[in-house]
Amino acid sequence: MKPHGLIGDEWLVSYAAGSLGEAHACVVAAHIDYHPALKSKLRDAEDIGGALLEVSEPDSLQSDSFDAVMAKITAFEEDMFGAVHMDTEQKDTVPPIVVGTDILPASSLPSSLSQYIADKDLNSLKWRRMGPGMSQVRLWDGPKGEKLWLLKARGGTEMPVHDHNGLEMTLVLQGGYQVGASHYTPGMIELADTDTKDHHPVIDEGEDCICLVVTEAPIKLHSFIGRLVQPFIGL
Amino acid sequence: MITEREKYESLVMRVAEHKDKAAFKELFLYFAPRVKAHLVKLSMDPRLAEDLAQDVMVKVWRKAGQYNPAKARLSTWIFTIARNSYIDQVRKQKYPEVNADDHLGEMVADEKTEKPLEQKQTAARVNNAMKHLKPEQVEVIQLSFFEELSHSEIAERLQLPLGTVKSRIRLAFKTLRKELGEYE
Ligand SMILES: [Zn+2]
Ligand SMILES: [Zn+2]
Repeated sequence: MKPHGLIGDEWLVSYAAGSLGEAHACVVAAHIDYHPALKSKLRDAEDIGGALLEVSEPDSLQSDSFDAVMAKITAFEEDMFGAVHMDTEQKDTVPPIVVGTDILPASSLPSSLSQYIADKDLNSLKWRRMGPGMSQVRLWDGPKGEKLWLLKARGGTEMPVHDHNGLEMTLVLQGGYQVGASHYTPGMIELADTDTKDHHPVIDEGEDCICLVVTEAPIKLHSFIGRLVQPFIGL
Repeated sequence: MITEREKYESLVMRVAEHKDKAAFKELFLYFAPRVKAHLVKLSMDPRLAEDLAQDVMVKVWRKAGQYNPAKARLSTWIFTIARNSYIDQVRKQKYPEVNADDHLGEMVADEKTEKPLEQKQTAARVNNAMKHLKPEQVEVIQLSFFEELSHSEIAERLQLPLGTVKSRIRLAFKTLRKELGEYE
């Protein structure tokens, strides 16, 4: 079977095909970023798309189609002339070196995540407390109830035991955690779904663990207190 | 003797370096009708597909400098631009992208990179490899690429357990990669 902590090929095919929603696509793309082997497989999967495009029976175009494209290009270049210059100037500046923090700098984060946190480092985000030792940043809510968010948990924290009403994908960005006999470290992904019962991740002792998570439906917490506070956490 | 593929790739280089309109027109005449056809297969209205195919070609012009033939086949690169534009337009969602460089990959120690297929297979080879798939494998690939269905949506459509759908996609992909690998 597939190696521990790596996503199955069926997800690479779906990512390539464009059949993932934004939240799942973000987590899968971020995971692929860590693994050159997955990147190479993704290229193969996207080649299938390229081939399907190339062998499509060409459709007829409107007679003025090329002129229309050139007009769009001209309009775009006139519009963007100023903005493009500002853009390149910003990109040339060297990112500041982060001193005195144990949190990842923006440059060592997956690029698919960057756009949701405006290229900030994780330290400067607004973390909202969600339970003992845990805090979160909500990144994006989708139309099918899917939620993309970041979880930060202090070293040694035991996550509350829960079951799932949908798929939960967790990608480790920093630190690590243990679920049963499996250990997860940066770049590794864990999939838990309705068949995964009594999910009980335990954060490694030491530095904060930070994960990029997508959930499709609210989790089912076992503890009464957990269920009481759940509406306030929003997950 | 340059191949068909090298010809189109060199056209992109001419667009990137010299904003060469004649080169761009050749690219347009080959790819725009295919992008439009592909979008129509995604059940887009032909008029909207025409308009979006035009936008895709505008992006080809604008991003020509980012295209790297060592990293992707040209039709694959244009496919991903079309895919992302379609998702942006129709689903009003972003499609977060994988970083083209291995900037994080170096952090993960001791990982064996499988030998990449290199970028030499032609569309005809992929198409030929598709012929080695079982009908039920072709079906899940098509439902993924042309209807953009998720694993659970495919399971629902075909009245199959989710695990069966996933393993069918994995097997189809494995067969395709193997068929393509044989040409190396
Ligand atoms: Zn339970
Ligand atoms: Zn869970």
